[in-house]
Amino acid sequence: MRKKILGYIGFVLLLLPTVVIGQTTVRGTITDAKSGNPIPNASIVVKSGSSGTASETDGKFTLQVSSLSVKLVFSALGYTTRELTASANMLVKLEPASAASLDEIVVVGYGTKIKKDLTGNIAKVKGSDVQHMPVVNLDQALQGRAAGVFVEGNSGKVGEGIKVLIRGASSISASNSPLYVVDGVPISTDSYSGNPLADINFNDIESFDILKDASAAAIYGSRAANGVVLITTKKGKAGKTNLQANFQYGINKPTHLRGFLNAKQYVDLIREAAINSDHLEGVDPLDPNQYEDSWLEFVEGRLTRYSGWSDWRTLQTNTDWQKLAFDDKARTANVDLSASGGTEKTKFYTSLAYVSQDGILVGNGLRRFSGRLNLDQTVSDKLKLGFNLSLSQTNMDQVSVDNEFTTPMQMVALAPITPLRDQDGKLYNRPVTTYGNPYVDYKEGHYRTTIYRNIGNVYAQLNFTPHFFFRSEFGLDIQNQNDDEFYGFNTTYGTGTNGYGQSSWFRGLDYNTNNFFSFQKTFNSVHDFDAVLGTSFQKYSTEWANVYGEQFPVESLQKLASAGLIKGGTSESNNSTFLSYFARANYKYKDKYLFSLSGRADGSSVFGANNRYGFFPAVSAGWILSEESFLGSSSIVSFLKLRGSWGLTGNADGFGNFAHLGLWGGSSYNGTGGLSPTQLANPDLKWEKSNQTDIGIDFGFLSNRISGEIDYYDRETKGLIYNVPVPGNTGYTTKTVNIGAMSNRGFEFVLNTENVRKKNFNWSTSINISINRNKITKLDGVQTMIPGNDGRYLNSLIVGESIGVFYGPKFAGVDPANGDALYYKQDGKTTTNDYNEAGNFIVGNPNPKMIAGLSSNIKYFGIDFSFLFQGVFGNKIQNGAGGFMSSSFDWFDNQTTDQLDRWQKPGDITNVPQLRIDGANGTGASSRYVYDGSYVRLKNITLGYTLPRKFTKMARISSLRVYVTAVNLLTFTKYPGWDPEVNTDYRADNRNQGSDFYSAPQVKNVSFGLNVGF
Amino acid sequence: MKTQLIIYISAFLLLFGCNKKLDVNPTQDVAEEFVFNNDANIKAALNGAYDAASNGYVLGGDLMLYSELLGADGEISWVGTYNEPREIFRKTILKTNGYVESSWSNSYKVINICNNILAHIALVDDADRDRVKGEALFLRGLMYFGMVEFFAKPYSAGNITTNPGLQLVTAPTVNGQITNANLVPRSSVKDTYDLILADLTAAKPLLSDEIGVYANKYAASAILSRVYLQMENFSGARDEANEVINDSGAELTGAYAGAFNNTNPSSEDIFVLPVTAQDGDNDMWLFWSTSDYGARDGDVEVNQAHLDLYSPSDARLALFWDVDGTYYSGKWKFQYRYLPQVRLAEMYLTRAECNYRLSTSVGATPEEDITTIRNRAGLGSISSPTLDDIILERHLELAHEGQRIHDIKRLRQSVEGFSYDAPRLVFPIPQREINAVGSNILVQNEGY
Repeated sequence: MRKKILGYIGFVLLLLPTVVIGQTTVRGTITDAKSGNPIPNASIVVKSGSSGTASETDGKFTLQVSSLSVKLVFSALGYTTRELTASANMLVKLEPASAASLDEIVVVGYGTKIKKDLTGNIAKVKGSDVQHMPVVNLDQALQGRAAGVFVEGNSGKVGEGIKVLIRGASSISASNSPLYVVDGVPISTDSYSGNPLADINFNDIESFDILKDASAAAIYGSRAANGVVLITTKKGKAGKTNLQANFQYGINKPTHLRGFLNAKQYVDLIREAAINSDHLEGVDPLDPNQYEDSWLEFVEGRLTRYSGWSDWRTLQTNTDWQKLAFDDKARTANVDLSASGGTEKTKFYTSLAYVSQDGILVGNGLRRFSGRLNLDQTVSDKLKLGFNLSLSQTNMDQVSVDNEFTTPMQMVALAPITPLRDQDGKLYNRPVTTYGNPYVDYKEGHYRTTIYRNIGNVYAQLNFTPHFFFRSEFGLDIQNQNDDEFYGFNTTYGTGTNGYGQSSWFRGLDYNTNNFFSFQKTFNSVHDFDAVLGTSFQKYSTEWANVYGEQFPVESLQKLASAGLIKGGTSESNNSTFLSYFARANYKYKDKYLFSLSGRADGSSVFGANNRYGFFPAVSAGWILSEESFLGSSSIVSFLKLRGSWGLTGNADGFGNFAHLGLWGGSSYNGTGGLSPTQLANPDLKWEKSNQTDIGIDFGFLSNRISGEIDYYDRETKGLIYNVPVPGNTGYTTKTVNIGAMSNRGFEFVLNTENVRKKNFNWSTSINISINRNKITKLDGVQTMIPGNDGRYLNSLIVGESIGVFYGPKFAGVDPANGDALYYKQDGKTTTNDYNEAGNFIVGNPNPKMIAGLSSNIKYFGIDFSFLFQGVFGNKIQNGAGGFMSSSFDWFDNQTTDQLDRWQKPGDITNVPQLRIDGANGTGASSRYVYDGSYVRLKNITLGYTLPRKFTKMARISSLRVYVTAVNLLTFTKYPGWDPEVNTDYRADNRNQGSDFYSAPQVKNVSFGLNVGF
Repeated sequence: MKTQLIIYISAFLLLFGCNKKLDVNPTQDVAEEFVFNNDANIKAALNGAYDAASNGYVLGGDLMLYSELLGADGEISWVGTYNEPREIFRKTILKTNGYVESSWSNSYKVINICNNILAHIALVDDADRDRVKGEALFLRGLMYFGMVEFFAKPYSAGNITTNPGLQLVTAPTVNGQITNANLVPRSSVKDTYDLILADLTAAKPLLSDEIGVYANKYAASAILSRVYLQMENFSGARDEANEVINDSGAELTGAYAGAFNNTNPSSEDIFVLPVTAQDGDNDMWLFWSTSDYGARDGDVEVNQAHLDLYSPSDARLALFWDVDGTYYSGKWKFQYRYLPQVRLAEMYLTRAECNYRLSTSVGATPEEDITTIRNRAGLGSISSPTLDDIILERHLELAHEGQRIHDIKRLRQSVEGFSYDAPRLVFPIPQREINAVGSNILVQNEGY
């Protein structure tokens, strides 16, 4: 094995001189400082060197070192790391680590730091905390785990987009997503369809380090305004090879279902609606002479049509369409195999995993195979090489976005009197179904996505001296995606054209090089100094093509080779580049005073030549009070640090590659190519810049059994890019300009406690609470308001308010006299039944006021129990589909059961207006459809049991754990819709938040698992 | 050691020299500065103007749909789920109606392309310059006419010098600049019609005389005849119609049905938009046909009140088709069929009406023209037709082709109790535009 690896990198060895040095042997034993038990598999490495080993099962180790004066670093999972000078025979005692140890290593950009020495704000989530959580995406696994990190899935569709906001939204139309960096390489978060983070097996991840303040993030310059998530994958350790196998199987259910009318209620209420509409027109439809041309005649005609073969008058059919939208056999299965180990010079981690998650919606699912090999090779004291390579294949069955008639959730709009199939067993579709029947699209169509993803990097590190090295990294992120779609003759897309097929191919190539020098030295044992200086170049290019066709001869031939008519096709490519220079210096005096300075200059092709470069500096300082004599002897305060930082970060992602240019694109008329304008120029376009100040306290009490952080931050973002409406008579509707400013201010509070710390009983708890106030402080300087611009939603941009607040008519209830929906006029007092006369008010804010997480871990002998509650508070949700599904039977859409409380006769006090077919009685977007979206959720709960070693030893395995784990088991909310964690996918963006539109509820999963170590 | 250091530092410094890597050009688009600098590009932009004009929100169906929905008067019904057309059908249009907004902005998109072409017309080869200029003028005039008919009070409402018309923009938008030319108030109805007349009359002599899918001399005449008719300039309308009938070479199709659902221009199309699987929108099919033909749900139904207007042997009646007794227009049944913008039949009807009103018989007598139309529909002639006969013939012949509300307005008829000049028969200026231009500059229409 080792020979092969050495052979593989042999060419490097040939190129570089190796240095042979004298060797001495160190032997020792590592034990638990509390219990005295030996610690197996602990890591022992030479500090500022490269050799190392791991302890055996009896805690013993042997290591060759150059001299006995070298420092050795001892670390083991769950223990505090110690640094000791080598001696021939060592007895090393390690303290069990507290929940969030101050000595823990934190990954920063282009290096690492000990948490204690940080001057910026970095939240760390350990891979082990989220391991084997039965979700697909790593961002789902982070939900509720870190202060200031807001994670929200658009819906419960598997592989769906997930919003991650670090300390609130900083941008109106550029990206609000953090930069993801895997082992030093920024990865792509764009894809043709689906969520590109779903390609990553998060069980391979050692840690997530989330850079939140400007001082931590500014080293990533123009990409850092939304924070940075540094992902470090697992590495091998010298010693015995550790084999792990995890098997998991579970069931998936929707978190909640809504109530819709059954056949009888549907027929009764829609007839009532028709009669009401007739009465308003002075017609009594129950009089046989007036029946003709009445609304009732029209409605009953439609009922007959919608009943298919059955008779609505005798309620022959009562279809529960909502039930049909969900897959009641949805399952999750995971298999995860990994091996890690190595020798002093060669270390490896490798894994193979399979994930299969059926979506809760019919026709939705994800399967992923992934493999990883991480290899680190110490060539000599001078040279270290390695690579991290992951490969994955993700297969997805996708469903349409929420506003398509074909998406399963829209089945709820169909009439319960409509049978699913005709008497020959054929699925009904329009005109028997009210709208296209999504069940047909599910059964007779498919949308399959296959993604091959390869994220890898190679590095070489050259140590000039023990204090000074140069590191070169080259990373690649390759995405290869195919979307294969076919819709049969009876489907919505395929009707009238004998089927519809589309094949799309996408390739994304992201390459990145980092080259940097790193220096670290302690002078006179009181001046700790370290510095980094480097450059980085990134190029991102995508290429995609598709072709689509119709007229398939038979439904079983689904590839475009069989299409009788190739209807069209296209291909496109896109490129962008970044060239960057970065530097950072940290200085620590007497382990008390900390200073840090960093800066990055970024150039990007995304901006015009005039504004191509931006400079992003940051400064920070810290004072460790607990090292001062006046606190040093305190038995209560074990750690206390004040820190403050200021920095500038930029945002250059998410608004296209050529937003500064006036563009004309290809068009076609009469089979001849033409040029049409596509974009209005703005040669002045430049970066959005965020100016962030952070003040924080890190504390530890009672030997750090109680520890935590409190932060206050103030982030002002300027030069916000927005597509400002321009007069249509220019030939354009919008122009991309740096118009506005936005502020985010907030508090973050983290508290970790070790409630019990005993030999066989450990209990720790962690709480995080974040409060963020987002406010738009400037639009273009002239307008103070850009109101919601599509009829169904109210998300607006208003100076002085949070991004995307709901601004529109305020519902004033129902007129008890006549059942009319009423709205407040602009005076806020008088009411009107004319929606056009209604005033506009701020009727809700989709941004949460507070988010929180509470987790606890208990270990009692072999039993482990953990849970995570996650909460979102103070946000509002607007149901954009309210005007369809809760509309007093404005049309034939089936209605939510709350419509049973409709106004029926003068004097009725209710909030549901009188039923009127085609009456638009209260259906306009208003506060009527805005609800409290706060929720608390039992995000994850796990109960496990590890068999005693004496049993596992007999079976010749090193460990065996069985567990049951659940995601989203309980949700507490007042939101009347499916699920309060929602933002409809077809329009989700920075401004359009908190909107529901037939969005699938989140997935509730309960899984059983088995974990075996060899 | 020292040499290693030098090697690595050199490698490091090399990276400082790659600024050129930041020069990346778009692959799907051309930067504006490279468009209007040669003959071929300007001609490509002209083709782009046709493409923009054929958008569903403009000539690709919606302007025709709006006219029919506003003029429904019980003869057709909107039964579809989309709010925007429903608001138009009910005459309760919101200022934020997305269709109205898109028709506005897409019309101006065409106008801006035309303005760009006209500003750079000197770069076009001598041989084609007149034609290119004529086509750009034609399209601009056609767009302004299409808009003024919906966004302003009709010419027949009088007060043409005070009733607001459109924002008249004739300068191109360049380099992203929004100028005072864009932040203009609405010109009067009269000034708007003057610009339309100026564009179309200037275009006419420059254009090719080949009728079909591109702007041509007879298309200019035909549209002019419509403009004159709106202005009640009957002699102008008559003479333009007469010119088309006599000189264009167009002929009525043998059967009435032959004028529709064609995959090529028919013999009577003066100006027609191609719709193929690759090209062109067909919003008439989308809303007027049914799901069996891949359209929406038969959103526009034709009512008995309309069918009763025909005599039983009328070939035009036979074109309607039904599903379980619900009738649909047969003119818009299929998706990939050319969309007629002006047919020769309309010219006969215009000439007949104008000759009647002016008591002339330029080209032919009203009776002869009405006979021509009726015979093709399988009907006998009417001796000495009255104005009502001519108007009814026009109503039936051009049914559901987008002329309805405009005829109602110029004829000072009423619809569903709304007088021809009722504010609710006029579209609101989109709120989006008022926000972008400023409510102090761009005034809203009465009633909104």
